Amino acid sequence: MMIMSMRPAFAVGVALGAAMLILFLGNRIKPNLRECITVIASVTMTMLVFSMVPGVLSGNVYVSHLWRIVDGIELSLRTDSAGMVFACIASFLWIITSIYSIGYMRGHHEKNQTGYFSAFAVCLASAVGIALAANLITFFIFYEMLTVATYPLVTHHRDDKARISGRKYLAYTLVSGQIFFASIVWVYVKYGTLDFVPGGFIQAGSLGSAIMCIMFFMMIVGGAVKAGVMPLHGWLPSAMVAPTPVSALLHAVAVVKAGAFCVLRVVCYVFGPESALWCNGAQILGWFAIFTIIASSLVAMRQDNLKARLAFSTVGQLSYIILGISLLSAYSITGALFHIVAHAFLKITLFMCAGAIFVTVGLSEISAMGGLAKKMPVTCICFASASLGLAGLPLMAGFVSKFNILEGALAIGKPFAMAVLIAAALLALSYLIPVVRIFFSGRDIVPLHGPSYGFIGRDASLAMLIPIILTAIIAIILGFLPDAGPHLYQMATDAAYEITGEGGVYLAK
Amino acid sequence: MSLMDHMPILVILFPLTATLLCPLLSHFSMNIAKRIVITALFISVICSVVQLAQVVVSGQAIHYELGGWKVPYGIEFVTDGLNGTVTLLVAVISWTTALFSSPFEKRERGSNTLRSAGYYSMLSFLAVGLLGMSQTGDAFNLYVFMEITAISGYGLIACGEGKGPIAAFRYLLTGTIGASLYLLGVGFLYAATGTLNMSDLAKYMPEVSDSPLIIFSIGCLIIGFGIKMALFPLHGWQPAAHSYAHPAADPMIAGIMIKVPAYAMLRFFFCIFKSTSPVMETFLDVLGIMAVMGVLFGSLKALRYDTYNKILAYSSIGQVGYIAMGFAIGNMYGLLGAVLHIISHAFMKAGLFYTSGALKFRYDIHETTQLGQIYRQMPATSLTMTVCALSMIGLPPFAGFFSKWYLALGAIENGQYGFVAVLIASSLLSAIYFFRVLEKLYMDKKDEKIAENAGRSNKKLELPWQIIVPMLVAVAAVILIGLFNSYIVGEVLKPTMTEVILS
Repeated sequence: MMIMSMRPAFAVGVALGAAMLILFLGNRIKPNLRECITVIASVTMTMLVFSMVPGVLSGNVYVSHLWRIVDGIELSLRTDSAGMVFACIASFLWIITSIYSIGYMRGHHEKNQTGYFSAFAVCLASAVGIALAANLITFFIFYEMLTVATYPLVTHHRDDKARISGRKYLAYTLVSGQIFFASIVWVYVKYGTLDFVPGGFIQAGSLGSAIMCIMFFMMIVGGAVKAGVMPLHGWLPSAMVAPTPVSALLHAVAVVKAGAFCVLRVVCYVFGPESALWCNGAQILGWFAIFTIIASSLVAMRQDNLKARLAFSTVGQLSYIILGISLLSAYSITGALFHIVAHAFLKITLFMCAGAIFVTVGLSEISAMGGLAKKMPVTCICFASASLGLAGLPLMAGFVSKFNILEGALAIGKPFAMAVLIAAALLALSYLIPVVRIFFSGRDIVPLHGPSYGFIGRDASLAMLIPIILTAIIAIILGFLPDAGPHLYQMATDAAYEITGEGGVYLAK
Repeated sequence: MSLMDHMPILVILFPLTATLLCPLLSHFSMNIAKRIVITALFISVICSVVQLAQVVVSGQAIHYELGGWKVPYGIEFVTDGLNGTVTLLVAVISWTTALFSSPFEKRERGSNTLRSAGYYSMLSFLAVGLLGMSQTGDAFNLYVFMEITAISGYGLIACGEGKGPIAAFRYLLTGTIGASLYLLGVGFLYAATGTLNMSDLAKYMPEVSDSPLIIFSIGCLIIGFGIKMALFPLHGWQPAAHSYAHPAADPMIAGIMIKVPAYAMLRFFFCIFKSTSPVMETFLDVLGIMAVMGVLFGSLKALRYDTYNKILAYSSIGQVGYIAMGFAIGNMYGLLGAVLHIISHAFMKAGLFYTSGALKFRYDIHETTQLGQIYRQMPATSLTMTVCALSMIGLPPFAGFFSKWYLALGAIENGQYGFVAVLIASSLLSAIYFFRVLEKLYMDKKDEKIAENAGRSNKKLELPWQIIVPMLVAVAAVILIGLFNSYIVGEVLKPTMTEVILS
């Protein structure tokens, strides 16, 4: 049932309003008050989003038609199951990252915190906007807003390194965004609609298959760049110069997930399984994803910088989602959607651990972290559990999603994809477990900054530690009970069956 | 007739009166003279709002015969949704620019107030010319207003320091050729049809459409308007004029002085010549080539400069190319995109020139290399710069994105995929040069000279309010036009376009 409601719009509006408030008041009020705005906005947004969960689970759809944004198309937000999955984790993780940010930014005495928190809020507003967008133009507006709002975060340190990675980031995202834009106009002219429809509104055979394949990839490239599909991943590792909470945001919450979500919307809600397979787009995309999964794991093993290693792990993990989508069976789409959730919690834990280590002992190279567990036991345990989860160990969140994708591959009879998935899981073990081993090795750690960083032989500060523990625990719970809390697993399944229909399987003809 | 029926002429009458009063009153008090101009232009804004509201509500064009002389003997002002919007745009930017000039005038005012009075007089005269050009329904009357625009424009450009007079002289030479060619074109039209009234011209056009006079006329008009709107390759005068004009008048010169001729071109090509003239198609193709080359040339050239005004000037050449591209596309969405871009680019470019003027006013900054960290001292200026620059690149939700949307829509509907590629390329090029400016603004080290000065001023506002208000008007316009473009397009422009232009 469709319910006209302003709640989706308010969820986005709260974050945008908070961004404005912070930007204009930030330097005039006390930092504590400023951070209050962030926290209040994030909690409000989360409550707004979660308040719609029961309705969505019982089959309702909340729709806000705002106003006509261009001739013939409305700016509208709509809570379908797939969008809700993304909106739920984005809004919930905003609370966590903002608490963590406060600890990190203060512990690290970062400058320009007003601009930072303001841009952060815009990013989250755009992420939820992307999740709930009901048509391509609304989607694109939020998508480009996300691009622009992330730029000041990437270049936060304002030195030469930040400048170069900022340029790289813009070059990748703006070029792909413009190509995406052209394809949206093209689709609108050809099909006269831009509304997302589960199963797609483009009919197979309505264009030549080569032309449609071009159209498919012009749209996909917008998402693929943000999702870091190789060879378009170049900006992601270099964006690591940003402060760690930003990396957490980029990698776990907003940016790369927005990219993956974009691929989902394009493949399943614009083209639909039938056309995507008919024009061979889905198959080609699948191969790119497979290549990325393997290659990124191999690259990740060679990185000594912890954040860089995590960055390449993100590149690989995101391609699981892309692969799941491109397999186009109900299981694999469920797995892909659930991997957005699982990876979010796991990767944010890992990044927050990396940041906590950096702030507390001043270390960023893995080889120097021997024996860290003695100094920071809780952080290291959380890191270890998240690593295992990411590798897809049973009873961890990563397992649920990966197993679903595997099942999906089995259902459509693609043994090769299965082999890749299993190999990749082992590879993921191979680049994360050594880190854990180094943490727990018997060596004595030499903190780089000692007392000046407030290192007094204890673990990281509470503002950082609590979010880490929280996300690690949630990741474990999601492994045991994937449907716990807001029933994200249920929603992912609903979305997948909406897309594929009852049978749940599309075979290439 | 009540006062409400006289809106079309009142829009022009107030600034015209102010133009004449200003030098006179300046002998008694320059402040009063200045305020007269600002007030007159503000009344113009109100009148044009009322007039546009009348048109939109009644759904019919207002025909106003000057002095009660019947057409086709007398001169007629015709206001429909299209030029009502352009008039409003001109009035708003003229008014904000007059306000913006006030602190500059105060600083430059010496013992002799005549220079100040002359400046304000010319500013308001420029507004008269531009308002007249958008209102008139008579081809020869358009020429008169075009010359008014040009003469006051020359003066304002010559007011600029340094190379201002040279730039003005250069514009004078080129501009005169443009105006003469326009006159020649109108002459051919008159010879072919025997009328100068635009709606009459449109009526007779089918009968004479194969006449060589018409072909010559279209050719002359393309070059004439092309020079006036600085369309590549006829843009020679523009970079110098926009860079060296008086910093206070620059927003108006760069914002609307090149847009109104673009509107006039639209009026001539699609109201008068329409598709009844078979050669029109060919001419539109030529226009398309000029547009594409202009877009690429302007964007590429802007990459080469570090001088803020030069970047903005060359970017204008590119952006005017967008408008011409809309004409070349020639279908509903192409034209809507062109008109929306006339409006949105006027605000973005005026906004950017306001920031340029503000930077000159406070720190005498000309180069983008001096911008480092200036946002700490000038937050409102930086906000304006950021919003307008993002809009120029064409990022949503700002106005620039939506005009690009309609242009792309029109181009794809016509199957002109090349135009879409050019649009994309140009967006990316402008992303390079504008993000370079923004990068310098937010990331460079503070300029030493400015750092010295920074501590001295401890006033509450970064700049006088007369400078801040125009900037905020531009920001608000860029955002609001972006968000609510479909209402401008759907309720105001589209009915007129359907009725007059594509019938």
